[in-house]
Amino acid sequence: MNGADKVQLHQNPVFREEMIRDYLLKKLDTDTAEAFERHYLSCDDCFEELRVAQVLMAGLRQSKVELRRVQDVLVLQFAGPAQLTRQSFELEELQRVFQQKDTKVLIDLGRVIKIDSAGLGQLMSHYSHVVKKQGMLKLLNPSPEVQTLLRLTKIDSVLETYHDERQALESFDSA
Amino acid sequence: MTVSPDALEAYRLKLRYKVYYHLGSSCPDAEDVVQETLTRFLRALQDEKIHNPESTAAFLSGICNNVIQEYRRRLWKEPLRDPDSSPPGCARDREPEMLELRQVIALIMGQLSQRDRGLLCAFYLEEKCREEICRTMGLSDVQFRVALFRAKGRFRKSYHETMKQNAPGEH
Repeated sequence: MNGADKVQLHQNPVFREEMIRDYLLKKLDTDTAEAFERHYLSCDDCFEELRVAQVLMAGLRQSKVELRRVQDVLVLQFAGPAQLTRQSFELEELQRVFQQKDTKVLIDLGRVIKIDSAGLGQLMSHYSHVVKKQGMLKLLNPSPEVQTLLRLTKIDSVLETYHDERQALESFDSA
Repeated sequence: MTVSPDALEAYRLKLRYKVYYHLGSSCPDAEDVVQETLTRFLRALQDEKIHNPESTAAFLSGICNNVIQEYRRRLWKEPLRDPDSSPPGCARDREPEMLELRQVIALIMGQLSQRDRGLLCAFYLEEKCREEICRTMGLSDVQFRVALFRAKGRFRKSYHETMKQNAPGEH
């Protein structure tokens, strides 16, 4: 962020809002993010806008992960296209909903368009946690790309994967 | 150079955002990182290491970066926590606070019109560019700016009012 950008922040509210949005979505490069942090540490106006935008975005993404219960199985499904990548919103959201005590969990990956090592690590951590509680965690509807990654990392040999929800739900009873 | 207690509190609040940004909102040690940053900052002030008041924010940000790096290195060296103790990345202390905040936000989101929600979602979550939103919603540039900030303003007003009502001692 150069001097002209700093002037723009105060003269062009849409530019500032885009900067704030991209910062909160972690889309800024390291230098720009650092420059924006230095700026808001000294600018109360921009910080206030950042605070409100952060709460607002938290509200908007509350529906990002939909939870429903089918008998005793908790089914997690992303409301829209999701990325399970390092520091992504969706990964944090998945982490949040996992603070619940459920031990039978089915994660619908149908809308997950991208997953990286952080996302795979998170799934395995949740799997380990659920198994320690004598529970089960299974996956549903991974895209061909995600399925390939699960196979390459041999995660599919640990985490059961289904393409039919009814079959997936029945598997919890038969286990 | 001196810093007033009010300014120090403002720095603390702002540093929280920076720390949560870099360590994730579930980091259980975020407050410690903020506190350590402020401690080093005050020590630097005492030692008169900050010569230019205009560079205070940059100096503070630099200290915070160092503390975050040290924290990450320490995490890397320390053995993993017992997975039985809590789910990964879980900050149990903040759970009730976060639950209450989520309820408040859900209430406010319900008060926004469908159009406002649609506009805010398109801009903040779906990362659509201004041109695309204008085209989809049939808005001019000026109408887009007015609609965006009016929607954000409504949210801000409801949020502040609700938080004020929920504040301790106001019941």
